[in-house]
Amino acid sequence: MFDLIREIAQTLRNNKLRTFLTGFAVAWGIFMLIILLGMARGVTNSFQANRSGESASSLSVNSGYTRKAYRGLQEGRRIQPDINDIRSIPDALPEYVKKATAYKFLSATNLSTSRDYVNARLEGVYPEEQKVDDVKINYGRFINAADLREERKVVVINEENAEVLFGDASKAVGQRVDAYGLSWLVVGVYSHRWERAVYIPFNTAMRLSDDNLKLGNIRVQLNEISTEEEAEEAEQAVRAQLAQNHTFDPSDKSAMYIYNRFKSYLRESSAFNILNSAIWIIGIFTLLSGIVGVSNIMFVSVRERTHEIGIRRAIGAKPRSVLTQIVTESVAITTLFGYIGIVLGMMIMQTVNTFVPENDVIKNPTISLSIAIEVTILLIIAGALAGLFPAIKATKVKPVEALRDE
Amino acid sequence: MIISLTDVNKTYPGAVPLHVLKGINLEIDRGELVSIMGASGSGKSTLLNILGILDNYDTGDYYLDGVLIKNLSENRAAELRNRMIGFVFQSFNLISYKDAVENVALPLFYQGVPRRKRNAMAMEQLERMGLADRAHHLPGELSGGQKQRVAIARSLITNPSIILADEPTGALDSKTSKDVMQVFRELNNDGMTIVIVTHDPNVGAATNRIIRIADGIIQPTV
Repeated sequence: MFDLIREIAQTLRNNKLRTFLTGFAVAWGIFMLIILLGMARGVTNSFQANRSGESASSLSVNSGYTRKAYRGLQEGRRIQPDINDIRSIPDALPEYVKKATAYKFLSATNLSTSRDYVNARLEGVYPEEQKVDDVKINYGRFINAADLREERKVVVINEENAEVLFGDASKAVGQRVDAYGLSWLVVGVYSHRWERAVYIPFNTAMRLSDDNLKLGNIRVQLNEISTEEEAEEAEQAVRAQLAQNHTFDPSDKSAMYIYNRFKSYLRESSAFNILNSAIWIIGIFTLLSGIVGVSNIMFVSVRERTHEIGIRRAIGAKPRSVLTQIVTESVAITTLFGYIGIVLGMMIMQTVNTFVPENDVIKNPTISLSIAIEVTILLIIAGALAGLFPAIKATKVKPVEALRDE
Repeated sequence: MIISLTDVNKTYPGAVPLHVLKGINLEIDRGELVSIMGASGSGKSTLLNILGILDNYDTGDYYLDGVLIKNLSENRAAELRNRMIGFVFQSFNLISYKDAVENVALPLFYQGVPRRKRNAMAMEQLERMGLADRAHHLPGELSGGQKQRVAIARSLITNPSIILADEPTGALDSKTSKDVMQVFRELNNDGMTIVIVTHDPNVGAATNRIIRIADGIIQPTV
């Protein structure tokens, strides 16, 4: 094997320009494939990151106005979700619903310590809100289930507020802060690109909100679903339960707006799958022109070397060893230059990732190892195919060729 | 008897089939230095191709060192060429981008001999040809006589049953031709069977037996 490689290296060195030009076509094809795949990946990553908080299988319930009269009640009534829905929906529909959560904003107020004060809005949340808002905890922890159950007076504050209130964000956890005439324990400090709300347990917020039990929006987390039909069925069940809670016609879709995350998730995923396949197809066709180039050059090379192949055959080369040599040569050119293309493409994508500021369109466009391996396998197969036909032609060279004068 | 041909016929098919060899009977003993002479078109080259297992024949029998050479597969033919025949060509047929040692060692590559060993063996043959100092020169850097001696070294490396030389002096001047013929005589003195195909009377005269071929038939010795 090592001998064969040495033999091939010698042939390639012997034809430097030809080897380079052939290789360039392949390297370019692979380079484009990597760039395209990287871009597609960046867009997909960005899409998934933007959705990271929301579980794909969830419903968002918003307030609305009735359009149909129902049981003697006029149309045009405003229907708002409330605290009762959060409890009754999971209880009534355990086969569809895992949990219902919500958030509740309290009016803005001052948070103060002996050192300073800040004006902020308090937001009552469930532990799930951390994922939804994509909140990163720097010190301490986020609101947890026990905080809700016991209606604790605890807060999770933004890093900037923590610095104002306590001088040093790392010292805030465990200290107390005053708001609404009550004393609150700081249990966590978070950082976020723009969110500045002060998080408190949802149940504590409801207790403080002057008997206003209406909510802007509730989020219903569904059990595992995999088809659009299941998503639709769960949506109907939830709507029926809401209709019962608020006395409206279950067929009246404008009474409460339900946004089915799962349905749009399916649509978006299929769009991204199409994007990905399209990129592969474009990339492979770009690569194909490189491969045809390799094949072409191998044909020329076999033709040029007819006499040499004849000599080799005369002194004992079997057709098989001629075939192996030409195919391996082709695989060597494709793989070597393909690799140069891969490395250049990955370097470009890495550079884009490092120097282009994080934005919403492209996120982490780098190519994973598994794609690099797939592309490598693709290269080897392509190289073998490109070399196969010229190699078969080479085996047809008769040893008598050696006797013919050059 | 190292070479034995019995009633060998060969016809090239075509619109007008060409009957080139018309019942060749030929015997060559081990250790002979023979030349085959004939004008062009006499069937000399075709006979050479058949002797060298480069081409097939239609009817008859050809035994080389006790092996019947008939209807062989490409692989078997390649193997027998590699082990039993050492070729020396008019135009040397060295591979231009390989140096002398690599060219001489090439037949052993196809026997799967490890590189180190085959290069050592190639060195030995080059020394025998007095070319040890030219071992790492490319063919382009050698004179005609040197090239032909490299080619002879290559033909010897597999320790073949016969050396088959096709116009070995055709591309050389008379002085160098004599040197090369001297090499063949010395090899023959060491016991090697050598068959030289030529149309040069001087070359023929330098061998021990001349076989004349004309119009596809071996001429009776006078």
